Amino acid sequence: MKTLLLSILLAVPAAASSPHWEKASLPAGLKWQTNEADPVYADPAAKKGGTFYAHILSFPLTLRTVGPDANDSFRTFINANHTELTYFHPNTRKVIPGLATHWAYGPDQKSIYFKIHPKAAWSDGAPVVSMDYAFGLEMMRSKAIVAPWYNEHYSTKFDKILIIDDKTFAIISRDRHNHFDLHYTLAEGFHPRSSRFHKLDENWVRDVNWKIEPNTGPYQISSIEKGKEIVFERKKDWWGADLKYFKNRYNVDRIVLKVIRDQNIAFEHFKKGQLDGFSLTIPQYWHDKAKGDVFDKGYVRKLWFYEDRPQPEYGMWLNQDVDLFKDRDVRLGFQHAMNVDKVLSTVLRGDYERLNSSNEGYGKGTNRELKARPFDLKKADMHLTKAGWGKRGPDGIRVKDGRRLSARVTYGHASHNERVVVLKEEAKKAGIELTLQLLDPAASFKTMLEKKHEIAYSGWGAQRQPEYWGQYHGVNAHKPQTNNFSNTDDPALDKMITAWRAEFDADKRDELSRRIQKRIWEIAAYIPTWKVPYWRVAYWRWVKWPNPPGTRTSDDPILYLFKESDAWDGMFWLDEDAKKETLAAMKSGKTFPPVTLVDKTYREN
Amino acid sequence: MIFPRLDPLTRKKFSRFARIRRGWWSAVLLTAAIVMSFFAELFVSNRALVVRHEGRWSFPAYGAIRPGTEFGQDYQYETNYRRLKKTFEEADRGDFVLLPPIPYNAYENDLPEGVYPPTAPDFASRHFLGTDTSGRDVLARLIYGFRTAIIFSLLLLLCNYVVGISIGCAMGYYGGAFDMFFQRLIEVWSNVPFLYVIIIVASIMVPNFFTLIFIMMFFGWMGMTWYMRTAVYKQKIREYVQAARAAGARDSYIIFRHILPNTISVIVTFIPFSVSGGIVALTSLDYLGFGLPPPTPSWGELLRQGTNRLDSIWMAASVVVSMIALLTMVTFVGEAVREAFDPRRHTVYE
Repeated sequence: MKTLLLSILLAVPAAASSPHWEKASLPAGLKWQTNEADPVYADPAAKKGGTFYAHILSFPLTLRTVGPDANDSFRTFINANHTELTYFHPNTRKVIPGLATHWAYGPDQKSIYFKIHPKAAWSDGAPVVSMDYAFGLEMMRSKAIVAPWYNEHYSTKFDKILIIDDKTFAIISRDRHNHFDLHYTLAEGFHPRSSRFHKLDENWVRDVNWKIEPNTGPYQISSIEKGKEIVFERKKDWWGADLKYFKNRYNVDRIVLKVIRDQNIAFEHFKKGQLDGFSLTIPQYWHDKAKGDVFDKGYVRKLWFYEDRPQPEYGMWLNQDVDLFKDRDVRLGFQHAMNVDKVLSTVLRGDYERLNSSNEGYGKGTNRELKARPFDLKKADMHLTKAGWGKRGPDGIRVKDGRRLSARVTYGHASHNERVVVLKEEAKKAGIELTLQLLDPAASFKTMLEKKHEIAYSGWGAQRQPEYWGQYHGVNAHKPQTNNFSNTDDPALDKMITAWRAEFDADKRDELSRRIQKRIWEIAAYIPTWKVPYWRVAYWRWVKWPNPPGTRTSDDPILYLFKESDAWDGMFWLDEDAKKETLAAMKSGKTFPPVTLVDKTYREN
Repeated sequence: MIFPRLDPLTRKKFSRFARIRRGWWSAVLLTAAIVMSFFAELFVSNRALVVRHEGRWSFPAYGAIRPGTEFGQDYQYETNYRRLKKTFEEADRGDFVLLPPIPYNAYENDLPEGVYPPTAPDFASRHFLGTDTSGRDVLARLIYGFRTAIIFSLLLLLCNYVVGISIGCAMGYYGGAFDMFFQRLIEVWSNVPFLYVIIIVASIMVPNFFTLIFIMMFFGWMGMTWYMRTAVYKQKIREYVQAARAAGARDSYIIFRHILPNTISVIVTFIPFSVSGGIVALTSLDYLGFGLPPPTPSWGELLRQGTNRLDSIWMAASVVVSMIALLTMVTFVGEAVREAFDPRRHTVYE
């Protein structure tokens, strides 16, 4: 009797539905897709084993990935070990399988279906099932995690999870999206959570603060020593190890992250061989600090890798709600009066490059015909004179009706002082005065959001796709708390942006994207400044890289030993023989030829 | 305020001050440095002192800028006199340019091709202390930074003392409820964390020279009140004050004419230390990034660049050495003044 009752209880689901999920059956006509056709990018010669030592600048305040104090750069290390349902191929940018083997798009453009890999398992051994995703959504919406942004995001972007069976489910969005956006908005960064681990009550924040959460990725934290180090250990029998796009990646057995609170001191540790790799993208490190014995004797090598991924949009936005910048000729005058090239060739040591348009690194979606307007006093003079600013006052600054041609530049980082002062001094030659308003980062960002700036000197982090709507659509102009810093309000541009958002065909989208960039260039309220289309690292010679050492869209592999949402991390490996050889050579004084590798496989042009 | 005429006692104090050698020489040097810094444009500037062009003389050091076209160059912006000098020398037609000894101004970026700032001290290019991270002359920024700091400090001192002394005197003179009220007010006021207020203000607006003085005065006037209050209490009961009062003198007359001159030694003793306090305060605020807005030349800002780039030691070293020299001199002056004005040496209590 007792067993019968139990089996009845088990047969009836605890709840047939909740606001977060419901049972459903597969709609007819669903076309399942996968992608095993794209090239692999990891090196088949990679060897497993060894310990990689790296450093972090501060110990994380928590091991949680959401909730108070979780927004730390360390979070990417934990999140990257939650395998994503799908990834974007780091070279072809097409969708490739991850934790899901197949995916399909619902006819309503709001749903995406996934088949979970049959072997996919948690670090505690339990299989990954559809309900784990339903619980993931429930958790992100729960007040217990004390994360209002996540509560809001997962309530407004996500509608619910449809559970088809244990291994098949769908994510339903609140808005319509094209296929790319469905992956981008719904699949990327949305992780299953283990309901065995998380008890969503008022103690959650405290309870799991230092607990190691079960994950689905290649590594798991094996030990932490608070304030000192965190060790990640490779799972010996990880379910994904032999999948096409995971094979030969994640080669190192252990990754030890030491806390070294000062970058200069960390570099000394590196030079002593206590760290295996070091990020050298900053010019001062690459040129001035990465010198000396260990480099000359070939024990430590340098690698400069050019990538072709979306570039952060650095620049200056002229606020068109300010009377001065309503006149396109004034804007053009300013474009030609900013001596960005001089900043690049002097204070930035020729290391950074000129950004040419608002959105570079989006493959065919980037309009490569556009070139940033150069510093040209004649052209600046022509445009400014045309706008009525022909006369110069006693201090050499142009005047018109008793007003001086002066504009305020708002920026948020004192480290940019040396760049801004060069722009200021050079602009004087064109008869333009720039007054500098250095605020702290948060206050500066707020000033720009409130549109209280005249010129916003800032930058936007690179996204998987351009943010045309937020930054340049008229809907977001003339009002506070939007990202349209230039207050661009151009009906022709609005039409293109709207069309681009609704377009599902990749080629047409790219074509529209190029036209949008052209129009932004013509409006001339955005002055592109610089880009850093590469990463540079130094590594001991026992660290080995595939050929080429990175992918089209990869980022600094030392800074991001694990990178969430991306599929290019963990491609290097350690050669134990080379390590023994090097250590012996250092003792005996034997040297190797110094190596500085510059890889331009994915260099633009 | 009416200061006393040089009575024998004051003269005695001055001669005593002059006899304290290191204080005296420090005072002379400091005064010279301050006076010279007011004419810094004549020593440190990218503008020429004298230009002779086609028989015409011009003196561009002060006044409106002169575009390149005025001297036969092909550009509209301010003449680059260093280049003009070379051009004239090459042309060799009797035109000449006389540049100041340090031919750079504090704002200009000297960024020649192929050299990356900061550049080390170099006599050939006349960067006697090198350049900073954006190629500006360190010595020029040091000198103009000194001028800013000293003017700032003196103005701040004036404001603080006018407010502090007035309120302190009034507290001591009127006493009673008035005194009690201000005592409590000052106690509360002193507990407002001044640095945080500055940080908050600086993060929402860019403080300029005068707002910064105003803010610092707002929290700095209390220091003098206590000393003045005690000094005035002491003087108030003396016979000469009683006599003046009996003769029907007004309160303000008694305070400014009788009491203040007799407390002057207290004030004078504090002045040098307030000056150095003002300089240190401004420098540390600039160092933290909450002081005067860039690109104002300032020691604190230079020090920050220097500590970030210890491999280019000339930046940090210039500021540290100047700072030590300046503060040591101010302290010497302060000590000498205290010594010279020590009332125990001049007065006899009856």
